[in-house]
Parts: sequence; C-alpha cells; structure tokens
Amino acid sequence: MKDRSAIFIASAAISVFLTGAIIIAHDISRELRQFLTGLTGHHWISVSAIAAIVFLLISTMSYLITGSEKTRHTLKADSLWNWSWVLAAITLVMALGVLAVYVLHYLSA
Amino acid sequence: MLLVLALVKGAMLTGRIQKGGKNPFMLHGRAGIFLFAILLGTFFYGLWIRLLHDEPLLRSVHGWLGLVIVTIAALQVLPSVTAKERTKLRPMHRLLGYSLAPLIVIEAVWGLYMGVTDGGKSLVLVHSLSGGLAVLCLTWIAVEMLYLKGEGIARARIASYLASFFLIAGCWIAGGYNYRTAYGAEVRPVILAGPTPWAHIIVMEAKEHIFVFLPIIAIALSITLATLDGEALLKNPKSRRALAVVAFLALFIVLITFLMGAIISNAGKAGLEV
Repeated sequence: MKDRSAIFIASAAISVFLTGAIIIAHDISRELRQFLTGLTGHHWISVSAIAAIVFLLISTMSYLITGSEKTRHTLKADSLWNWSWVLAAITLVMALGVLAVYVLHYLSA
Repeated sequence: MLLVLALVKGAMLTGRIQKGGKNPFMLHGRAGIFLFAILLGTFFYGLWIRLLHDEPLLRSVHGWLGLVIVTIAALQVLPSVTAKERTKLRPMHRLLGYSLAPLIVIEAVWGLYMGVTDGGKSLVLVHSLSGGLAVLCLTWIAVEMLYLKGEGIARARIASYLASFFLIAGCWIAGGYNYRTAYGAEVRPVILAGPTPWAHIIVMEAKEHIFVFLPIIAIALSITLATLDGEALLKNPKSRRALAVVAFLALFIVLITFLMGAIISNAGKAGLEV
C-alpha cells in the first residue's frame, strides 16, 4: 500500500513558507505590494488567494510525485512525525518573521 | 483548562477515549466542582458589576446565557454530589456536560466582545465566535489523537471539518470582509490617531498576515485525517502525537490572533475616548 499520509502536512509546511516569504517580501518591496494590490484590488486578498492556490498546487503535485516508491522514500511521505514538526517550526519562524518586519517598520517610521 | 479536564476525564470514565493518568473519577469530580464554583462566582460578579453601574440585570444575551450555564452546571454538580444512585442520571449528565463546552466558549467570547467593543459590531462577533469554536474543535482533535480509541477517528474528522469551517467562513471570510469594510473605514483611522497607533501598524498588520497560515494548516489537518487509514493510526502512537502537534499548533495561532484581536479592539476603544 502506498503510505503517503504526511504529504498534506508537508504541502502545508511548504505553502506556509512560501506565503510567509511573500508576506515579508511585499512589506519590504513597494513594487511587489503594488503588484499584489493590482491583482485583486487589495494586497491582503491577493496574499490570501495566493496562499490557497499555492497549497492546492503543492498538494496536487506532492500527490502525483509520491506515486513512485523512490520519491515517497526520499521525501519521507509517510513520516507524519517529521513533517508535523517541520510545519510547526516553519509556521513559528515565519510568524516571528512577519511580526519582526512590522516591528521594524514601526520603529523606522 | 478545568472545562477540558472535566470533559477529558468524563470521556475516559465512559470509555469514549483511552484512560490516562490516575483516578479519572476523582479528577472529573474535582474539576467539575471547581468549574462550577468559578462559573457561579463570575456570574454573581457580573451581576454585581451591573448593579454598581445602575444597569438593569439580565437584559443581554451574555447575561441570560450566563444564567443558563450556571443552571446547567448546578444540574451537573449537585445531583452528582448528593444522589446515591447515579446510573439513571448518566445519559443526561453526559449530554449536559458536552453542551456546556460550546456554551462556555460562546459566553466567554461574547463577554470579551462586549468588554472591548461595546457591542454593535455583529461581524466582529461572528468573527470572534468562530475563533472560539475553532479553539474548541482543535482541542477536541488533540484530545482524540492523544487518547484515541476505535470511533475517535470519526469524531476527530468531524472536529477537523468544523474547525476548518469556522476558520475559513467565520474567521477568514467574515474577518476579511470586516477588515476591508468597517475596520478600514472606521476603526483604523481612530487607532492611528489615538494613543496606541502601534496596535494597527504592528499588531493588526501582523495578525491579518499571520492568520493566513491558519486555514492552510486546518485544511491540511482535515485532509490528512480524512485520508488516513483509521486502523493504522490506532496502532501508531507516533503518528497520533504528530497530528496532535498540528492541532496544538493551529490552537496556538488561534489563541495568539485572539489576543491580538483584543489588543486591537481595545486600541479602537481607547482611540474613541481621546
């Protein structure tokens, strides 16, 4: 049986990392913020939509590529334990990163 | 904590979840009695505060819900302490016990909402209530995973769907709509002109963006629970603890965003008083 029970948690970890990176980058780069605002009319809605799309794409991709035994083994697709902690670590680091950006933004204003 | 302890130990006694720790009967009883004492104390404290401000008693949903909760808690504790034959009381005791959990969460969120917003913003209330109920669902998932028994996987799946629903519909969509409309037009300018502009510049900006991680985590948890082989999960305590870690992670973020929400609402209130 193909055990790839951890792929959605792994996809969430990658999605949180990418979304967090976009959030931090859009507060630093005015061009990116303007681009995101132009997409939907508000940067927050664009970030939300991108987060949902990124998770959907990465989940689908992870499901497809873990069809082979070798990829499942390499990605540890059956290790809920490892990927849960990776998700927790990435989420907390990205959350602190986002908070740090706004603190710096406030202090430098 | 007392509510969770009373519920968990009660569920252990009925065999719904695995037993853990020593003497669940004693802990269930003590947690129930302490919880009842706290509920009774806060209810009368609320009445006293109303009287101090010359306000009419029991004129709000918060007040009436408080009375309902105290009555249910009394019905839970008093017969359990006094009655010798309690077998016939168990089904009702179980039903009332489980119904107390969402009622207490709703009451606490409603009280906080009234305290920091002065009422009148129903979308903020929906947003906050969804967050409170999501906390309950995430705690439920974590408990099921830590003490999993046969049917627990089905209950954990339901809890995860509910958590995802509350986080997406109530927190993400309702909260996002409120942020784009009422908050941006009415609250934000008040906070920026008030004594604590950092509440918007740091806390609100961080909250709205950190929150975006939550629906992703909740959906990943829901899909994982939905697609996992229940039998395999029962035999694998490491995987169950891993899913509990994800539930606790989501719970932690909801609680942090809740605290941030309270700071923002308080800043809005302070801004209006200037």
